[in-house]
Amino acid sequence: MRRRHAGVTALVLAVLLSGAAPAPARVVSESQVHEVAAELRCVVCQNLSVADSPSEMARQMRVIVRERLEAGESPAEVVQYFVDRYGEWILLSPRRRGFNLLVWFAPLAAVAVGLAIVAVLVRRWTRRPASEGTVPSLDPAMRERIRRETEAER
Amino acid sequence: MIPELGYGAAIVALGLALWGALAAALGARTGRPALVLSAQHAALGVFALVTACLALLMYAFLTFDFSVRYVATNTNLGTPFYYRITGVWGALEGSIILWTWMLALYTLIVILRHRESARELYPWVLTVMLGVLAFFLLVITVAAPPFARLHPVPADGHGLNPLLEDTGMITHPVALYLGFTGLTVPFAFAMAALITGRVGDAWLTMTRRWTIVAWYFLSLGLLIGGWWSYHVLGWGGYWAWDPVENAAFMPWLTATAFLHSVMIQERRRMLQLWNLALVIMTFGLTLFGTFLTRSGVIASVHAFTQGTIGAFFLGFLTLVLLTALGLLAWRWDALGAQGALDSVVSRESAFLLNNVMLVAAAFTVFFGTVFPLLSEALRGVKVSVGAPFFNQVNVPLFLGLIFLMGVGPLIAWRRASVDNLRRNFLGPVLTGVAAAAFFFALGVHSALAVLTLALTVFVAATIALDFARATRVRARMGEPLLPAMGGLLRRHNRRYGGFVVHLGVLIIAVGVTGSQAWSVQTETTLGRGESTELAGYRVRFEDLAASEESNHFKVAGAFTVSDGRVLGVLRPAKKFYPQEQSPIAYVDYRLGLREDIYLVLGDFARDGSRATVKLQVNRLVSWIWIGGLVLTAGAGLAILPETKRTA
Repeated sequence: MRRRHAGVTALVLAVLLSGAAPAPARVVSESQVHEVAAELRCVVCQNLSVADSPSEMARQMRVIVRERLEAGESPAEVVQYFVDRYGEWILLSPRRRGFNLLVWFAPLAAVAVGLAIVAVLVRRWTRRPASEGTVPSLDPAMRERIRRETEAER
Repeated sequence: MIPELGYGAAIVALGLALWGALAAALGARTGRPALVLSAQHAALGVFALVTACLALLMYAFLTFDFSVRYVATNTNLGTPFYYRITGVWGALEGSIILWTWMLALYTLIVILRHRESARELYPWVLTVMLGVLAFFLLVITVAAPPFARLHPVPADGHGLNPLLEDTGMITHPVALYLGFTGLTVPFAFAMAALITGRVGDAWLTMTRRWTIVAWYFLSLGLLIGGWWSYHVLGWGGYWAWDPVENAAFMPWLTATAFLHSVMIQERRRMLQLWNLALVIMTFGLTLFGTFLTRSGVIASVHAFTQGTIGAFFLGFLTLVLLTALGLLAWRWDALGAQGALDSVVSRESAFLLNNVMLVAAAFTVFFGTVFPLLSEALRGVKVSVGAPFFNQVNVPLFLGLIFLMGVGPLIAWRRASVDNLRRNFLGPVLTGVAAAAFFFALGVHSALAVLTLALTVFVAATIALDFARATRVRARMGEPLLPAMGGLLRRHNRRYGGFVVHLGVLIIAVGVTGSQAWSVQTETTLGRGESTELAGYRVRFEDLAASEESNHFKVAGAFTVSDGRVLGVLRPAKKFYPQEQSPIAYVDYRLGLREDIYLVLGDFARDGSRATVKLQVNRLVSWIWIGGLVLTAGAGLAILPETKRTA
């Protein structure tokens, strides 16, 4: 998708540089609009993105996204336009900086702590080998075979 | 009169529940069976009274008793019969009655099943169940009374939230609540185990099937919720990482972790503390979810102070957690880590990793859901944490889980020898790699999609390998193939039930991957007779038709869908309800195994000459629902009574 985007930009640049007719409105595909709109929160919905929401408000916001992209703004600029208007709240995925880093790193920290605990426990437990004499476990195939064979012998 | 009866029944039930909880505890301490018997009768009484409450509220709905505020808010004279019944649990007050009723029902079943078999634990189980019941009855009588009167009595009610006018309204909440309330049973047994000090395996063995049942209903509730979202909400998706969804997903994750870690305890007498903690966590999360979604705190931290219901749930949650932690601390010595492992490469390790992943995922969902509150409270900045975030952070965890799903069931307990690994995994790994190459060659270039599909194939291959091998053993003994397979399923129903559930999850994973990676959509305004094209489909706008329904006004577009030949006419609509400011989208779709065609009607010209339509081609979504059916079959197999063990 990004490659296509770059291709379009290159095309526009080529047209501009060749000094031909005034720059035409940039061709913006459905998926480019979708990509930007998926980042934005529909302001009248419970918890849907502008891309998904069936509401009229979201439709108008998609139109704005398209217009601004067609006018030559980058996706980041379009997103910033909405942030300026509505605040950070409009972003469905909080920006990775400052206080927000907390929410981004929490999952990583959770996995790391979990793995560390398991590692410590496994180390401790493997040093004290399991008690001898318990029946080793069998997989069903083996268990089935034993059952059959003992029955056959009877 | 009716509302007063209902209110009175709730108050008496509250009294009975409190007495029963106390009596059972006293009975357990003094060893006087008469007290436990009295508690048993109290539980019976609670069930009868809550049933009466539910019936009375339903009666109020059916007779349009608008003097009851709850009825007036959630129904009006136009509400069809069917939705007057489901409307009973269409909002907070009524859903808490339904919840309480199910809890009372579970208590009754616990009495029937365990009063003989669980002698030591049983009185305390009763105490905990009745204690939880008392809390919900307190909510019914004080915090969210469904029978509160309305003055003056309006001539007509406001009406049900139109989004809830759907057949999913009967199955979705019922399944979800059966899951939530069902999780109270293992919690009660865990508490009883801690109180009596019998923290061994007895409580686990007794609650194993309870947990599977509750887990299954929770899964079903989530899946039906996804289906409801897909075909009612009109946004073309099935999961939005909405706080309400997350609230149900968190206990599902920890319950799944519990279902797996019990196996280590049964097998190896390890992880007693951890299993108790998981059950407590799961129950705590069901309460937390209710708090989160019902207190208004999600809209804003400041909304929290508006209702009392939030404070009730938060208070009870605190009480539960403090009690449980206190008990854990009290029994700490008995719970000491008695673990012993032979090798790092073993099924035990795989299960431990599975637990890390599941609990980390639960934590991620938890933290992401409450983070906006944290940000608002600490920084005063409102932020959103939505689907893009949750997808990004959870996908690696879920991929890891799928991988473990292949490893766990086949790797040997205790110590996996190189031979065991080669025997069980060489084939599946090669199959997975071949699948990756195959999908890549087929033109799938999204790394994530290739990885997911390859992992899915790998896991499916491990399951097939295990089943084929066990069948072959039976067949070699002269048993015909099909009876051999059937006998295997029946004899090792728990193991193969688990495998079938895994298959269901794999199918769901394929559906999720496909719909995320390959769905396409477009939105256009069409004049009459004009058409638009997407992914080989042509959609032509024919006309608009308006109609008057019993409680709303409906404008439906007719769109002919063809892919060369005409496939049919889809009629997405907008429904205008007098009580709603904006119209409700009513989508129309054509489901298929490969892809769904999904139409949402947007704006339209009043004369019907033009209409905006959103056309989506959603790939592989049906697999999610099919996976749900497979999962159902697996859960059903797993809870069959065990046949006599031979090994």
